[in-house]
Amino acid sequence: MNWRGELIAAGAFAIRNLQMASRNVFLIFELLFWPVVGVVQIGLMSQFLTLSAEEKSFVLIGQMAFSIVGTCQLDVAYSVLYDFWSKSMKHHFLAPIGIRHLTVGSWVVGILRGTVVFGLTGGLAWYGFGFNPFAAGVMPVVALLVGCYLTAWIVGVFVCVLILLFGGRAETAAWASINLVLALAGIFYPVSLLPWWAAAVGAAIPLTYFLDAYRAHFGFTAEFAFPVVTGLVLSALYVALSHVTLHAAVNRARRTGLLLKMSE
Amino acid sequence: MLAIDAREVAKTFRAGLIRRRETPALRGVSLTVERGAVFGLLGPNGAGKTTLLSILATLLTPDRGEVYVLGLDVRREADAVRRRLNMASGNASFLWNLRIPEILAFYGRLYGVHGATLRRRVDELIHTCELDAHRRVPYNELSTGLKQRLALAKSLLNEPELLFLDEPTLGLDPDVSARLRRHIASLRSERGMTIVLTTHYMREAEELCDEIAFIKAGQILARGTADQLKRQIAIGDVIAFRLDPGAGARLGEMTGVLRATPTSDGLECTVDSAEKRLPELLAALHGEGATVRGVAVREPQLEEVFVELAR
Repeated sequence: MNWRGELIAAGAFAIRNLQMASRNVFLIFELLFWPVVGVVQIGLMSQFLTLSAEEKSFVLIGQMAFSIVGTCQLDVAYSVLYDFWSKSMKHHFLAPIGIRHLTVGSWVVGILRGTVVFGLTGGLAWYGFGFNPFAAGVMPVVALLVGCYLTAWIVGVFVCVLILLFGGRAETAAWASINLVLALAGIFYPVSLLPWWAAAVGAAIPLTYFLDAYRAHFGFTAEFAFPVVTGLVLSALYVALSHVTLHAAVNRARRTGLLLKMSE
Repeated sequence: MLAIDAREVAKTFRAGLIRRRETPALRGVSLTVERGAVFGLLGPNGAGKTTLLSILATLLTPDRGEVYVLGLDVRREADAVRRRLNMASGNASFLWNLRIPEILAFYGRLYGVHGATLRRRVDELIHTCELDAHRRVPYNELSTGLKQRLALAKSLLNEPELLFLDEPTLGLDPDVSARLRRHIASLRSERGMTIVLTTHYMREAEELCDEIAFIKAGQILARGTADQLKRQIAIGDVIAFRLDPGAGARLGEMTGVLRATPTSDGLECTVDSAEKRLPELLAALHGEGATVRGVAVREPQLEEVFVELAR
């Protein structure tokens, strides 16, 4: 494997996503508006409901994770969506690159933007509502962020797969899927509160475990044993699975001609 | 040595889950193209030109048949094939708010070009394709001609050995088309590139291509140089008479006259052999008392071959 070539190709997508984002008016909304509004709403609601400090931290952690995963997964989905919207899909697949370059390059930008969102929402939660994300130290924060970014990668690739399988009809999935995943991952409530079948699905989502591990540092009993390890193992499994699925979806698009249709 | 060796390539597009619809696009196409040649694919809309080009460029997988590009199997060695070819199409599209150098740099990196080499190559291509004055303009604000020149510049980023051009002058005005054709011609003469192009413009095919294949309903109906095709199709010679309006109305019924078409200043007769029929036609016109103010004999245009084959 030629690492230099790998980095150049993945870097191409990272640079492109940064250039696109820097000229996108919606960037302000994705990066500043929605995350900030979200934390303010949840923070004020927790004050109105006179939640305890622990309960307040529970929902604010959920809101922060929601914004970080949402922003990061959009970047991964953009790796295909930008070209779908501009009908330039075929140019990538004409070049000697792999889908790993496409997704990893975009994911790197997603991590950058997700970290900015964490800084903003964490700072606001601390300043406005007295919740210090670093109260338990740096490592729990790092573990949470890793969990958020891995989940975002998996959901983003899943969206890319849907676009390559169903074209424009799947575009809504880019916006809707993350909400479903986060709802099942117990973003604002313990997973045990869900009906058994939904809780079972929630237990299959890596973020569930990273949230559980982080919240355990803020006075909540962990629902799962070894949550970080379980989350990482699940993530590794899904990353491999989603990569294989995306590869198959590209091959199918080459077979059916969808790749060409999406470039016309 | 062959740049393209395709044997019995077939492709059918399928759609619909409940009501399956099948559209055969290629029905056993075999094609060889020599290295360093400029090869034209002509045919009506929906003939299978773009499908064939896409299969050769690894964008589409054939249902059956074998395809070797630059000696490599497009199915098993797709990545190696992709490194050595590129493609530009007349209706190409790029990311709407990126600028010309950014678009070229992005695709250049996908081919492993980077650093100073990338900057130099991007600058060279911008200059060669006459895009210097538009470096700062976002893609969606470029004119059709500039977009097409950008598509061509993008297709040269990896200095391909084989270049596919899918209707490269589609929708361009004559002046820009002529400049683009000159540029395409120089790619072969200066870089020895093999070029396969599809076009609807016969003049373009005649001007650029060493050889032409005519494709219709997913099959290659004829192949050869423009002159060979004209002879092969045997649509005859054209004799144009300058006559008074209404004169020569009965010429179409004469032996050897395949078609008689009134024109603005007379009549055009397509005959099996001008040498043989011209005296007979002149005698017939003389017999009916028509005044012949001029006669011109010409070979059929490639366009007429196209019309004949597409019929």
